[in-house]
Amino acid sequence: MSSAKSVIISCAGIGSRLGLAQTKALLNIEGKSLIAWQLELFKDIEDIRIVVGFQAKAVIKEVLKYRKDAIFVYNHNYFETKTGASFYLGAKDANEYVIEYDGDLLVHPDDIKKCLVEEEYIAYSEKTSDEAVFVRTDEQGNVLSFSKKDGDYEWTGPACIKKSKLKYSTGNVFNQLEEHLPMKGIKIRAQDIDTYEDYQRAIDFVRGWK
Amino acid sequence: MTKFIFDLDGTITSKETLPLISNHFRLNEEIESLTKETVEGNIPFIESFIRRVYILGQLPVDEIDNLLETVELHPKVVDFISQNSDNCVIATGNLECWISKLVKKIGCKCYHSEGIIKDNKVEKLTKILKKENIVSFYKNAGEKVVFIGDGNNDMEAMRIADVAIASGLTHKPAKSVLSVSDYLVYSEEALCRLLNQLL
Ligand SMILES: [Mg+2]
Repeated sequence: MSSAKSVIISCAGIGSRLGLAQTKALLNIEGKSLIAWQLELFKDIEDIRIVVGFQAKAVIKEVLKYRKDAIFVYNHNYFETKTGASFYLGAKDANEYVIEYDGDLLVHPDDIKKCLVEEEYIAYSEKTSDEAVFVRTDEQGNVLSFSKKDGDYEWTGPACIKKSKLKYSTGNVFNQLEEHLPMKGIKIRAQDIDTYEDYQRAIDFVRGWK
Repeated sequence: MTKFIFDLDGTITSKETLPLISNHFRLNEEIESLTKETVEGNIPFIESFIRRVYILGQLPVDEIDNLLETVELHPKVVDFISQNSDNCVIATGNLECWISKLVKKIGCKCYHSEGIIKDNKVEKLTKILKKENIVSFYKNAGEKVVFIGDGNNDMEAMRIADVAIASGLTHKPAKSVLSVSDYLVYSEEALCRLLNQLL
């Protein structure tokens, strides 16, 4: 009956680098909130879990417009923790395969299908940011390592891993994945929103989908 | 084993039962506003409960028991309970004599408040259930305790439960509840999916 996968969207963070003091989930992109665009990508997924913290009330209200059946997961310590903690909290009681999806990420709708599988992988895209985490890959595209200095592609997520392998982390999601490398890689078209320039790029990105 | 402890009013039922009683007997709006203020945490639960029982206790107990047997329930939640009745218990501040038929219909163990009945009326309140004691009891017995609730009087129980699920099925959960919750759900689909994952 039920599927063996869950999608965990981490929306707990403050998004401080964007400088708007507002959760990124509510950013307006072409007349829709960022979280609305994301939920559209996952409309066929049964188990959607939204990790909330900063401005939880507003995020919950927005999500409920689209997915009354979402499960909200609280990260009450969002100020002290990073994405690794949110992913763990969102995943710990979820289905067998947990798909991690950062709340500031947009993936091209034609590419998201490759990511909604019950199989472990790490997704990355062509490099667009200067300040990012990069992945080094082999000839088959498998991910060999993460690096803050350089690499072949930019780590964007999503990633999928068996829930049983996931541990609590005070670090980021890529730190949780590191110990399981090498892992299968999937190249996608994606845009994450860390800075105001990224936000402008995200708007252009979405315009290109139509 | 996982023990699921459910609040009754608003969590299993889709209407609060005390306002239902006052409506049925055409009592004034006092009870309704009292319940609302209590759920929101503006009046201490025990104070409000004592006041409500004092008013409603004058009404015929058997008629209330029959009335509450017909209260609307969340069907998927009730299905989960009947499929896992050994894992599920109800913890409610409601009086045993008012909900005995309803509880029988739901079909799992229930912890409740108690009173002395005389001449088909509640003569005296003898016990007000503290839900946190039920959580402690099962935790001490080595169970993993999941508590599902929505009101201010669920807060202490949810704070010490291993997993706390705030239910928005009937109304918005109290703010105090949200601050101690691991999860929040607004639909029976989400709640039952989560309960099955926790089983
Ligand atoms: Mg309740």
